[in-house]
Amino acid sequence: MVTVKINGKEITVEDGTLILNAARDAGFEVPTFCYQADLIGIGSCRMCLVEIEGQKKLQPSCVTPVLHGMSINTESPTVVSARAGVLEFLLANHALDCPVCDKGGECELQDMVYRYGPHKGRHAEPKFKFHEKDYVLSPVIIKNSNRCVQCVKCVRVCREVVGANVLTSLNRGDHQEETSFLRSFLDCDQDGNCIEVCPVGCFMRLPYRYKTRPWDLKGADTVCPYCATGCRMVIEHRDGVVIRARAQLGVGLNSETLCARGRFGFDFINNPNRLTTPLVRKRGALEPASWEEAMGLIKKNFSVGGGKVGGIASPRLVNEELYLFQKLFRTVFNSPNIDSSSRWDPLAVESFVSAASMHEGGVSIFDCMASDTLLIIGSHLSDENPVTDYIVRRISANRRMNVIIASPRAMKLDSSATQLLRHLPGAEDSVLEAIILNLNYDKLPDETLKPVKDARLEALLSTAGALDKEIKAIARKLGASSTVAVIAGTDFLRAPQSIPALGLLKDLLRSRGKKVTVLPALDRCNQRGAWEMGVHPGFGPGYSRVDKKGLGCDGILAAAEQGELDALYIAGSDVASMYPDGEFAAKALSAVKFLVVQDIFLTETAKLAHVVLPGASFAEKEGIFTNQEGRAQIIRKLLPPPGKAKRDFDIIRAVGESFDPSFGPKNPVLVLDEIRKEAPMYGDVSLVFNNKKNIEDKLDNRAALVKGAQSAALKVSRIEPRADLGGAEQFPFRLVTGNHLFHSGMLSRMSSSMTGLLNAAVIEISEGDADALGLRNGDKVSVRGAACEAQMTLRTRKGSGKGMAFVAENFEDAPVARFFRRGKGAPRVAITKI
Amino acid sequence: MLTENEKKELQAALKKYPNRRSAVMDALRIVQNGRGGHIVKEDMLEIASILEMQPAEVNAAATFYTMYNVNKPVGKHHIQVCRNISCSLMGAEHIIKHLERTLDIKTGQTTPDKKFTLSTVECLGSCATAPMMQINDDYYENLTDQKVDEILKNLK
Amino acid sequence: MESVLLKNIGKPDAHRIENYVRNGGYRALAAALKLAPEHIIQMVKDSGLRGRGGAGFSTGLKWSFIPKDPTVAKYLCCNADEGEPGTFKDRGIMDNDPHLLIEGMIISSYAIGASNAYIYIRGEFVFGARRLEAAIKEAYERGYLGGDILGSGFNLDMYVHRGFGAYICGEETALLESIEGYRAQPRKKPPFPALSGLYGKPTVINNVETLSCIPAIIEKGPEWFAGIGPAKSPGPKIYCVSGHVKKPGLYELAMGATARDIIFNHCGGMLRDDRALKAVIPGGVSAPLLTPKDLDTPLDFDSLAAKGSMLGSGAVIVMDSSTCMVKTAYIINRFFSHESCGKCTPCRDGTPWLTKILRRLEHGEGRAGDVEMLESLCDNIFGRTFCPLGDGAVMALRGALKNFREEFQYHVDHKRCMAC
Ligand SMILES: Cc1cc2nc3c(=O)[nH]c(=O)nc-3n(C[C@H](O)[C@H](O)[C@H](O)COP(=O)(O)O)c2cc1C
Ligand code: SF4
Ligand code: FES
Repeated sequence: MVTVKINGKEITVEDGTLILNAARDAGFEVPTFCYQADLIGIGSCRMCLVEIEGQKKLQPSCVTPVLHGMSINTESPTVVSARAGVLEFLLANHALDCPVCDKGGECELQDMVYRYGPHKGRHAEPKFKFHEKDYVLSPVIIKNSNRCVQCVKCVRVCREVVGANVLTSLNRGDHQEETSFLRSFLDCDQDGNCIEVCPVGCFMRLPYRYKTRPWDLKGADTVCPYCATGCRMVIEHRDGVVIRARAQLGVGLNSETLCARGRFGFDFINNPNRLTTPLVRKRGALEPASWEEAMGLIKKNFSVGGGKVGGIASPRLVNEELYLFQKLFRTVFNSPNIDSSSRWDPLAVESFVSAASMHEGGVSIFDCMASDTLLIIGSHLSDENPVTDYIVRRISANRRMNVIIASPRAMKLDSSATQLLRHLPGAEDSVLEAIILNLNYDKLPDETLKPVKDARLEALLSTAGALDKEIKAIARKLGASSTVAVIAGTDFLRAPQSIPALGLLKDLLRSRGKKVTVLPALDRCNQRGAWEMGVHPGFGPGYSRVDKKGLGCDGILAAAEQGELDALYIAGSDVASMYPDGEFAAKALSAVKFLVVQDIFLTETAKLAHVVLPGASFAEKEGIFTNQEGRAQIIRKLLPPPGKAKRDFDIIRAVGESFDPSFGPKNPVLVLDEIRKEAPMYGDVSLVFNNKKNIEDKLDNRAALVKGAQSAALKVSRIEPRADLGGAEQFPFRLVTGNHLFHSGMLSRMSSSMTGLLNAAVIEISEGDADALGLRNGDKVSVRGAACEAQMTLRTRKGSGKGMAFVAENFEDAPVARFFRRGKGAPRVAITKI
Repeated sequence: MLTENEKKELQAALKKYPNRRSAVMDALRIVQNGRGGHIVKEDMLEIASILEMQPAEVNAAATFYTMYNVNKPVGKHHIQVCRNISCSLMGAEHIIKHLERTLDIKTGQTTPDKKFTLSTVECLGSCATAPMMQINDDYYENLTDQKVDEILKNLK
Repeated sequence: MESVLLKNIGKPDAHRIENYVRNGGYRALAAALKLAPEHIIQMVKDSGLRGRGGAGFSTGLKWSFIPKDPTVAKYLCCNADEGEPGTFKDRGIMDNDPHLLIEGMIISSYAIGASNAYIYIRGEFVFGARRLEAAIKEAYERGYLGGDILGSGFNLDMYVHRGFGAYICGEETALLESIEGYRAQPRKKPPFPALSGLYGKPTVINNVETLSCIPAIIEKGPEWFAGIGPAKSPGPKIYCVSGHVKKPGLYELAMGATARDIIFNHCGGMLRDDRALKAVIPGGVSAPLLTPKDLDTPLDFDSLAAKGSMLGSGAVIVMDSSTCMVKTAYIINRFFSHESCGKCTPCRDGTPWLTKILRRLEHGEGRAGDVEMLESLCDNIFGRTFCPLGDGAVMALRGALKNFREEFQYHVDHKRCMAC
């Protein structure tokens, strides 16, 4: 700790603290443009100059650390005049077109000039103009360089945080312009972080353009509804139309960043195709109906006892709704047949939760990033959890740590890896077991897995498609680390035979006295919440034991297909599109005797329903999402649900009440109280967060992490790999799936911004495979498998593994789910040019 | 596309540095020299791919340094007259006017036959022999009107 | 004073290694390789050699900051960007006597433990770059470069890196950025290059003339060097004289020669006898000018600093009575604004503003208050920029304003020049 004097006030701060932050801690505001806590300091804008006693020149406080005994003045006449001088220079070539600028009203340059002068313009020379008209950089970004203050944050965030590195400075001196290659269209992540960090109206949202003035917006603090990273953001509407999502510096683990889905994907909220009224099936067609009629039908067709019923609730609902949903089934319908995912097997989920130690409580990503070694496996993090990717990139660049990435596909984050392992798809088990063998198998805690010979290692290496030395290098790094973090992604759930090995590695490392944390990387915003609320056939709220285990989604569909399911209530899930065997799912859903679907759009599943109930989007309700770390965060209501649509909470409660008038609790706040009791992990989780910038609200709000469960009814089961569909000669590519950077689940397909970025399915193979087939990026290809054939556009990726084709999960016209066959492993496909 | 010779030159340049990016200035120079004095989009894309850089980063370097002519074709003979202080003291402005008159173009322009481009530059480090100019790689010093005429005449 | 830096210039084919060796070249290297590196650093410290690139920092001291850890790679970079208008001494050495620089660099690399050395030469110097490349090849062939140099076990590779038009590359950290393939914008210091320089490794950056002094220091001893010129900035110095004198050119003199001595004794006096001396820029255009009353100031680091000017690169630009000081200020300022790298606000947006005002003044479009405005803008730039380029721009203009304020005001009041 060092003590310094700032404007005469003594303050003690940590060694190495920047003068700027010391001054801010002491309560003195120092203006900045180029400083941003998450970026490497460049000290170039000169707004933050301060006077240090004994030094002739003013010093940039944003890059100068305090030294013991320093006496600093942030308000001296020289400092004040320097600030005004810098602002005057910034205005010299500035366009001064505030009246037509989208940033007007929330522009940092405006604010600073207002506060620090100059209040009279002296520049009377011709200005340099970069261009006449604003130019479009992408479907979501538009640029005006004439307003630039050259803080270069756009370029820096693109390089240091996003890792896309597609923005740069061109030319030099006062002609320096931050833009793309030859100002051409950007082929990038389209996350708009350049827009967010821009203090002026230089980088702007194209969809937002000229729509409003910031003071006419009303906002709500919320959490992004896409992946489970749990980025905090503000969504804002004008006249009932949501027109902006933004993140705030220093708020939420994402700080000022969001990904494309988060920043631009909100426009599904005002999609004209939103469901606004209940529908009931009459003479074979769905027709608008009243809530009474719809509820009457539900009451008639769901039986409280006896009959076989099931429920599937989406992990996009809030905890309060999910809790009530499982309570409805368990206590009112007396049915344990509930699930939250159409894609994953309940046994796999239970094993994963256990292997990843999710029942031990929340794991902060920042703790993971403080470990000696980070292993990322089973996750295409860059596309599935983009902001998690940013955090890993940013922090690992500033620390000496090992970042090991094991994945079949190349990804943007590879450039941050200290070691890369390109293994075969679905072979996470072999990779992990081979690592375990190398870590000295004598000490394995699980005796049953002990008998291993070196021949076993050989076999593992060959199924993993890895080299002995690669595995040994990983094992060595793990062995030499005292803290290890593992980010384990959804591929474990897609190929669940790998889950036991994950648990085993964790146990083995722990048995060696290492601190091991596992962060599950999940792709639905409240997946963890859904599990922790007990929307699972095998465990109750807080991973508690249940008296009676039930059927998961797959079991429910199987029963339906056999004509054995009397009623099925699906809230927010598009089972027909997402279940990995589209044909089977459609058949099964059609065979349900009574199907209720509650959603915000008429999904493929809703089209098969007898009753459709219009629910609410995340913008239209309050509640809690638990992100992948186990961080419980509140979302707040911005708008009422459209038309006759209702909060899902109210619908679920009303369904319950129609069978049992005492069903409740009646309002979400009381449900939360009950959750805290029933799932003690949530007992004293703090929900005090407020999206306003404040000093207390540091990025890592640990008080919001769920605690460990006292007793968890979980076990890791051995799951046999499913047999491949075969046909390697005929179908040379193994098909793998997952999320796309621009699309996940159903919501993004309803966002015109996201469909504007990517509208149809693409199939991705490695550059080498494409060359061998004589195919090029952008070619139209036919993709043929045993079960299905579809046309797609080809994308090639440098550095990906051979013999693997990736298609994202979510496109109606070429749904990857149709290539899958129930009970079978990954399908194979052939790709030919059309 | 880089020619075989240019590729060879670039390979030699790469040997000088511990990383590929460092060769970007050499690469741009090689390409500019081989392409009649300027650089176009395709060149930058190709350099980016060879040096494993982002095209934008190549673009950034190419536009920072004023001797790269990005998308600015120049004539066969690029005449660059120094107009900094020492040359100015010795009559650089006069030489520039003389050249404009003789070539019948303004500074910054290229003759219609694409033979000459006339530019002005800042100090070229030849101040004791002012006024001076550089034509392509070569320096011409102690200029007078007659000397300029002679030089132009000898350029094919 | 016996010439050491320019001694070979003018001799036929002085650039060829056989001639260089015949004239005693590479003897200093052989001697140096027998000494301990620390010993050489001490000799250079004792010689009192101060950097000839502009800042005048003690070369031996700079070298001594390099960590001694032999497992860490180190670099030597020769700053041959020579961009300061009026300066052409480094070009003189590289074009005519490249082996002098190379020998100096080999010894310096040995002293600091560098096994790779780069010469950063400005792009316009095509001839010099070719000369250097050819000379380096010769040095490899003779075993002065490469592995196990002269059987000493010392290895060194040397390369030429060609700039391509950016004065800022002369600033040492911008130079490093440029070698690494980035836009040449200065880096923040600390960390200083001696600890984290090229590719993050300890690096020494020295000027061509500085490095060219090294062989003589080894051969003739530090006392000899320290005995030349003023005690605090000793040694031979190349003055680059241009402008209105009869015999402009390079003059190697004992440090501390006066402008009067240089102009009237060495350069044959003013170009036109009918025109009086009006002003002298003593050290490149960043250096505030001197007026005739200061002609007897010794041109060395400390004496010029005491006069509010600086030795800089040793470029002496002589202006006679026909010179318009507004035009001079305009040209110099135009240069700085053209070369501003764009990183920091005051320089990027301040220097072009100054230039626009000066251009108006020069073109007879001055407005009331322009002179005060210039002064005020100078105050807002000076001391507030990221690197010294912006300061240089201001110092030059302030010098002109201080000494010739009435000429500027005349341009405002009469819309024309007083001198021409
Ligand atoms: C804007 C600017 C331009 C410079 N240009 C040169 C130059 O062209 N040549 C040079 O040797 N030093 C130049 N310098 C000085 C270098 O930064 C550095 O101090 C010098 O190369 C150190 O070498 P020395 O110690 O041998 O003088 C420049 C400095 C600045 C700030
Ligand atoms: S003073 Fe600033 S803008 Fe000017 S060259 Fe230095 S860093 Fe660049
Ligand atoms: S904020 Fe410190 S220089 Fe920009």
